[in-house]
Amino acid sequence: MLSTLIYGLTIGGILYIISIGLSLTFGSMRIVNFAHGMIYTTGAYILIAVLPLIQGNFFEGMLIAILVVIPISFIIEKFIIRRLYGESIDYAIIATYAVLLIGVDLVKWIWGTSPIPLSDPVGKGITFLSIEIPVYRLMIILVSISICAGLWIFFKKTIVGKIVIAGLQDREAVRSLGISVDKYFSIVFVLGSCLAALGGVLYAPITTVHPYMGFHILLISFAVVIVGGLGSLKGTTISAFALGMVMAITGRFWGPAAEAMVFAVMAVVLIIKPIEV
Amino acid sequence: MLLAVNCLDVHYGYAKALHDVTLHLLKGEVVCIAGRNGAGKTTLLKTIAGFLKPSKGSILFDQKPIHGFALEKISLMGIRYVFQDKRVFGELTVRENIELAAYPTKEKVSDSISRILNLYPRMSVLMDSKAKGLSGGQRQILLIGRALIGEPKLLLIDEPTEGLSAGIIEEILNVIMRMKGELSMLVVEQNLSVVSRMADRVYIMKEGSIFKEIVDRAVIEQSNALEGYL
Amino acid sequence: MREKHKEKDVTAKVRNSGALGVVVIALGFILFGSATSIYRTTDFIIFCIFVLGFDLLYGHMGRLSFGHMLFFGSGAYGAGLLVRYATPNPLAAILVGICGGALVGAILGPVVVRATGACFALINLAFNQVGYFLALVGFAKFTGGEDGLSLTFSKIPFLSIANPKVFFGFTLFCLCLTYYFLKRVTASPYGILLRTIKENETRAQFIGYNTYRYKWITYVLSSSISAFAGALATVNYGYVNPSFIDPTRNVEVIFAALIGGAGNLYGAILGGVSYMVISNYLARYIPRWEMFLGLALLVLVFKFREGIWGNILSVWKSRTQTGA
Repeated sequence: MLSTLIYGLTIGGILYIISIGLSLTFGSMRIVNFAHGMIYTTGAYILIAVLPLIQGNFFEGMLIAILVVIPISFIIEKFIIRRLYGESIDYAIIATYAVLLIGVDLVKWIWGTSPIPLSDPVGKGITFLSIEIPVYRLMIILVSISICAGLWIFFKKTIVGKIVIAGLQDREAVRSLGISVDKYFSIVFVLGSCLAALGGVLYAPITTVHPYMGFHILLISFAVVIVGGLGSLKGTTISAFALGMVMAITGRFWGPAAEAMVFAVMAVVLIIKPIEV
Repeated sequence: MLLAVNCLDVHYGYAKALHDVTLHLLKGEVVCIAGRNGAGKTTLLKTIAGFLKPSKGSILFDQKPIHGFALEKISLMGIRYVFQDKRVFGELTVRENIELAAYPTKEKVSDSISRILNLYPRMSVLMDSKAKGLSGGQRQILLIGRALIGEPKLLLIDEPTEGLSAGIIEEILNVIMRMKGELSMLVVEQNLSVVSRMADRVYIMKEGSIFKEIVDRAVIEQSNALEGYL
Repeated sequence: MREKHKEKDVTAKVRNSGALGVVVIALGFILFGSATSIYRTTDFIIFCIFVLGFDLLYGHMGRLSFGHMLFFGSGAYGAGLLVRYATPNPLAAILVGICGGALVGAILGPVVVRATGACFALINLAFNQVGYFLALVGFAKFTGGEDGLSLTFSKIPFLSIANPKVFFGFTLFCLCLTYYFLKRVTASPYGILLRTIKENETRAQFIGYNTYRYKWITYVLSSSISAFAGALATVNYGYVNPSFIDPTRNVEVIFAALIGGAGNLYGAILGGVSYMVISNYLARYIPRWEMFLGLALLVLVFKFREGIWGNILSVWKSRTQTGA
């Protein structure tokens, strides 16, 4: 039971890291960003590419992956996302999906289609209550909690964070104060993308790294965002960990059904509380 | 002449919302725009503020054209729009609302806060409460206080007394009257007794265009007379 | 003057009855089939039926579903399961396939149809993913899992399915039937209501329509037609496997609807043919096929939104206007 709990928190933590970026873009620009999945995939693959060059230093690999992703997400934001602003949401979905498609094919081209295994960078476990818990999973939980705290400080205490919160609520009102709110949303987009890459890097050792992994995680992240309430950061946080637990618990009884269960939860939530976008 | 609007046409898609609107505002004036619902008053104000782009015509501010400019730019040039519906940033505190408004200007937050407290001393106890907890009248005052940050030249106020009780309306009216003279204001207002007391001039709008301009103070002071024009 | 009006009336009537369209479509495909290959063209036709079903929801009612392969797959598996476990009659299989799609649409409809925009697209995708999981793993005992089911069909009098020419004619007939049906539906007051819902649903509600019910009906119609295509595909290939319900293939039908011109029956068919032509012929020469598709999609979204048919229409409109 304890290992399931830890696993649930681990998945929850990763879902949180990935979904926050999605929730921000969704809440701020009302754009569904499929390209987020591409950035996630890129993070994992850059890590894999770079590891042999830096003697397997996982931490450095993580930093490099994030750094590489910054200009990529900047370009996506500038040439695609910005043009979709205010357009019908269907076009945003299709366009960002196209970016994901291009990205997936690029990955297939460079690295091939077969999954690439990556080993647990820590490899050790600690025994607690006579159960072996991998240290790596605890680290992921710690990282996600730190990010949660960091974001909380950012949004509650810094002026940029407050502009974003106000902008999420009422974009026009922020603009009417003379603040070019879109510039801040772009910063938020890049920030969210960095988190997606981080999520990809962290998840890579405990899942399969393959070209379609972004597509995979995207659906679950969207479920997290929808269940948590669109544009609600607090909601996303809670639902990320909750759905992580759902996945872990379901996985314990019937492995492959874990993801399907997440969607079942999403469907139930939508029946009880239907939403408009 | 602070503001000159000439032959303004504004479309929502294919529908024409404003038709050939011409008005002007001199420095220091308080001009009211009155009219029934759907006459286009908010559309006019929003177009001047930069939310909407006119399809025809011009808007000159201090003799410089501003039509088609971005909303943010117009705000920084000194024209501030005060929203209808008392929309404040509910999740932020009153203090944070003011901080946000002061951010793009050069004004110090402490100065902005003192200005609001001058207008409405009771705001001091509300400084650290979330703005969504404020009453309608308090929100309106916060909105006006926010709009005054950075010392704008022109305020565009959209239905400031809507939905407020008589006592609160009196307070809002006092606040506006105290700003009179230093500041020019274009106010959309449906409450004719309020119009009678604050306006130097009145424009009546009907179905997207200016129906009549009333300059005679004697007529303005009689809200019954104004009613007749609607 | 009056004669011109009479002329316009007649041509409008002919256009609206759908008869002209049926003739054009039938002739078009027969020509295409004889010029290229009957096998290929049958594929094209089946895909066009799918696009028609999808576009009813997307182009006419304005709701983008990112999971329509679920219905294609429901029809495909419905047909397949019937043939494997009950009767090998292909016509029955097709009918059951359609019902399968209709059933899934009817059950999911109440949940899905309440959402709009992004949520609508994503919820459909989520259900597609669940369906894929069920076909691949969940019900693998019945569906054959990854390998799927290979099927043999019985012979029916008058309709020798095994004969490619006969089957080509049969599917063409199905396409014309679908086209005709949709033409009547979209030209009817119901069709106008659909467009109203697309433009401004609140308005439609204010006028007094229970838009929820109509959205549900449209959803079921769309799912049924998509399932029809899926069932035909199963009969055509003689097997069914998870690729018939694969969520990553949704981009195919979306691309087709966009490139043809959404919201228009001719556009849907043109789009279906275009996508099939590109994927069958062009894919041979372009190795990075998915990247090409992605780039093409971007071009479509940013520069070419009305699609082929939409552009033809606007060129025609400006011509006739300048003429007058």
